Amino acid sequence: MTCVQCYQLSEQALVLSIDGLITQEVRQKIFALAQTANNTNDFFDIVPANSSITFYLNDFTRADYWLEQLITLWAKSEPEAFIPKTHLIDTFYGGEYGPDLNEISELTGLSQKQVIELHASVDYQVGFLGFLPGFGYLESLPEQLKLPRKATPRAHVPALSVAIAESLTAIYPSSSPGGWHLLGRCEQPLFDPHTDSPSLLSPGDVVRFIPKEHR
Amino acid sequence: MLRVIKPGVFSSIQDLGRHGHRHLGVSQSGVLDPIALKAGNALLGNIETAACIEITVGLAEFEFTQPCNFAITGGNLNAKLNSTALYPGWRYHAKAGDIIKFASHPEFLRAYLCVENGFDVPNLMNSRSTDCQTQFGGFKGNALQKGDVIPFSESCVPCSELAIKPTDYTNVVRVLKGPHCDILPEDYLAQLLSKTWTISDLSNRMGARLEHPTLLPHQKSIDSQGVHPGVIQLPPTGTPIVLLNDCQTTGGYPIIASVIQADLRHFSQLAPTKTCRFKLVDFDEANTALKKQEQEITRFKIANQQFENKK
Repeated sequence: MTCVQCYQLSEQALVLSIDGLITQEVRQKIFALAQTANNTNDFFDIVPANSSITFYLNDFTRADYWLEQLITLWAKSEPEAFIPKTHLIDTFYGGEYGPDLNEISELTGLSQKQVIELHASVDYQVGFLGFLPGFGYLESLPEQLKLPRKATPRAHVPALSVAIAESLTAIYPSSSPGGWHLLGRCEQPLFDPHTDSPSLLSPGDVVRFIPKEHR
Repeated sequence: MLRVIKPGVFSSIQDLGRHGHRHLGVSQSGVLDPIALKAGNALLGNIETAACIEITVGLAEFEFTQPCNFAITGGNLNAKLNSTALYPGWRYHAKAGDIIKFASHPEFLRAYLCVENGFDVPNLMNSRSTDCQTQFGGFKGNALQKGDVIPFSESCVPCSELAIKPTDYTNVVRVLKGPHCDILPEDYLAQLLSKTWTISDLSNRMGARLEHPTLLPHQKSIDSQGVHPGVIQLPPTGTPIVLLNDCQTTGGYPIIASVIQADLRHFSQLAPTKTCRFKLVDFDEANTALKKQEQEITRFKIANQQFENKK
């Protein structure tokens, strides 16, 4: 069972927070409620996360109304109401694109081929974005691929690297320091502020990696 | 155009920030003192969101290559136009070839240079602010560099000198109680409120890190949730971090308190080694403070309009 509360974090920010086991159904409810609230025009931003949603109010005098209303809307929120967008991401695994593939294979006891097949066998969902613009935390990595973050982070992870850490996988939209294990690289741009839809991924989207032969 | 002769310690183009893209991991950015920007824009009859240059520490020098009505607001960094002293809260006129220099001041950290109609850099994702972390927006996505030439529209009619009363800065900052006080040791909020904190030299536009001989260490983490400027995170090391405009959009450290929106601007002037204290208030006081600030700017705009109409 989950227990839900709504509190005011600051003048403009309201948080709906969910305690208890976050099942796929709860996740879908989170995205469905974010979508419903987004259609009201009362919020200038809505940030879903693993077990919470933060709502940024246009008008802070509406805080009391929304503190109650969000609880009501949560109870009414239907998991099926949210239909995720799916992205197929062509990925070049291993070699110069995935410098940690060998190490991942050693640490997990799987062959490199098995690691790739396993990573590409799952539909991942964008739990939330953060760390960098367009950086989606993708859930959930198959159990056998779970590894702690690297003891020493890399100073420079190339843009579009596909990486894993703990129960997550992700694509680095731009180059940055990073402590995740690098498995491969994709070609599709993840974030471009000069376009009308700057981020490829949005919260709740589904990602599937498609292994491609190296050219 | 404005030609950068010396960018100083850190100068960047900022406006009131980039909103509505937090769910995509995009930081807010924008000026650390929105009242200073609104005052500067009001002095020049600009729209509120016109972009300015935020100057940190000072030691910066710019040349106006065309006539320009401008205003300086924020902290007093001992600016001069050629050899004439300039004061925060005033608007002035510069001729083509005039040089504006910002020195520095032991008590102030940031000043704002506004020009008539604002700096004309591209509007990206609904803002002209520089996102210094991701390097987009502002002027070529970066802090200003020597030799940069920043466009703005020429002022044909020189303005008369006019001032707006600068709003004071303080180091006593009002906060709201945070949502995670109950998972932290019982007296931590009381300790946050009773100590005088020192701003660490690791502070920047992402956050002000606070130091004290006795810290507030713990071993708690929370599920990552949305965070924004003003949130005070308490990482396990026990050094509170006041998130500022370039902060990340989600965070997994307990939130012990939030600086009220009206008071966050004071951090624009709190340089490393300066101290600050916190005072707990409720939402009513926070909302009233914000409304009062907005009213002051509105009152000035009305007064300014009457003044311009009389001329």
